[in-house]
Amino acid sequence: MTTGPIAVLGFGTMGSGIAQVCAQAGFDVLVLDTGEEELARGRERMAAFLAGAADRGKITETDKAETLARVSTTTDVAALAGADLVIEAAVEDAEVKRTLLAEVAAVVGERAIIATNTSALCVTELAAAVPAPGRVAGLHFFNPAPLMPLVEVVRALQSADGTVQALMEFAGRLGKEPIEVKDRPGFLVNRLLMPYLNHVVQSFDDGLATARDIDVAVELGLGHPLGPLALLDLIGLDVHEHATQSAYEDTRDTRFAPPPLVSRMVAAGRLGRKTNSGFRTPAEEEDR
Amino acid sequence: MDKPLTVGILGAGTMGTGIATVTARAGHRTILRDLTEAAVQAGVGRVRQFLDKSVELGKMPAEQRDAAAAGLTGTTGLDDLAECDIVVEAVFEDVALKAELFGRLDDICAPTTLFHTNTSTLSVTAIAAGSSRPERVVGTHYCNPAPLMRLVEVARARQTSDEAYHATTEFLAGLGKVTVTTRDTPGFIVNRFLIPFENDCIRALEAGLGTVESIDQAVTRGLGHPMGPFTLLDIVGLEIHRAVSLSLYEQLRDARFAPPPLVEQMVAAGHLGRKTGRGFYTYDEPRMFGT
Repeated sequence: MTTGPIAVLGFGTMGSGIAQVCAQAGFDVLVLDTGEEELARGRERMAAFLAGAADRGKITETDKAETLARVSTTTDVAALAGADLVIEAAVEDAEVKRTLLAEVAAVVGERAIIATNTSALCVTELAAAVPAPGRVAGLHFFNPAPLMPLVEVVRALQSADGTVQALMEFAGRLGKEPIEVKDRPGFLVNRLLMPYLNHVVQSFDDGLATARDIDVAVELGLGHPLGPLALLDLIGLDVHEHATQSAYEDTRDTRFAPPPLVSRMVAAGRLGRKTNSGFRTPAEEEDR
Repeated sequence: MDKPLTVGILGAGTMGTGIATVTARAGHRTILRDLTEAAVQAGVGRVRQFLDKSVELGKMPAEQRDAAAAGLTGTTGLDDLAECDIVVEAVFEDVALKAELFGRLDDICAPTTLFHTNTSTLSVTAIAAGSSRPERVVGTHYCNPAPLMRLVEVARARQTSDEAYHATTEFLAGLGKVTVTTRDTPGFIVNRFLIPFENDCIRALEAGLGTVESIDQAVTRGLGHPMGPFTLLDIVGLEIHRAVSLSLYEQLRDARFAPPPLVEQMVAAGHLGRKTGRGFYTYDEPRMFGT
């Protein structure tokens, strides 16, 4: 599909992961962010991730150097003009994304495909901010993008068949496993995950069992890689609250509504691993 | 293990024989009880088969197998459980039946005997109420297959004494199990979260949000679960899933536990999963899991 570089909008956690995945697959990547500081931080994050992979023998030093060499950065939207694929990974704020996508759409050619990595917003609504919205679809990576094999290709109401098809093929070239999903709250994975996590939190709050016992039961009884409460700590309580609130407002389905304990933990600044305070953090002694 | 106990197992079905395998393997004298001689013999045979296989695979020394097999007996008589330190019931999921069995054992077993129920969906408190010593009753929910799965959910009935609870977790630790403690609430921990999740996956399929394949892929590759929901449901059996869902729904009155219409249709059509050659997927050869 692409001859020009892939433009990645935003060099945060998801942006740097996506840029890395693209660069590792051999594509040239141009990352846009608002300031040099953000760009430097994103590059550092990617370099650190690659260094870790090299230390564990997953990639060679040469792979690492070549990957980093394929990634260039800019703060100037106009520099994206030659891109024929744009992957937006800016903050999860509809207004920010709409403005950014419209700006970028005005610079890249009409044939360029514009994908958004949003997980909680409506792709159809974002597409509506772009002229010729048939070129817009969702391309939802999971965190950490370099490790998670699944990618959801989200078909907005406006998405052209060719756009969806091209993104399915592109995800395959990245070595990912794409599935096509509808533009409904949470798409597919998070639609299934959010009510489950809410149910667990409410049951924990109701005194079903300790946080540790709930996680151990799910890990050993169902073979999940991580118990639900440890997973919430990893996702971040604030991220979960935002995603569930957004899905709830969209559906008015109470299974999506963030349980009161989540809102209170966010209010108290207990966001999970990032603040070292959550359901399972700091680690209890018995966790070893 | 401090000292071998005598353990009675009621019910020589999948769970009963699995639990008997676990207790016999740990060196406890194990008495497997079912209603007919045929059922008992089949159950004892399955335990022996599992032990033999373990030796064959190098998972167990032959001496341990011999000791376990020697300590394993079968019976159809409840009276033969008189000397049991612990009786584990793993009979059909019926509160009245389970409660009545413990009531009969009151007159047979010593007052110190622990009564364990392996119920997965029923109230341990209601089952305990069938015994004149309900403080000795504890829920111990093993996962299937019991000899391979390390988890046991321990549920205290409202009547369970601290002593009975502690003796139970100690016994289970001696079997090599990892225990979690849960309130006596329908589905405990694992099924409380698994059943609505599976029903949500079925509803997503009904709503056209994905296909059988893409939803399984989303769950295995996006969430890292070892098996997709439809692959798992086909193994469990749709009629079993329907029964468990309905039982939880009737107790909790929470719509997320209710089996979605597609489940009813599949059961009506005989599309029960692997065992009938067709469920969410179709299979060339009908076969049972784990046999």
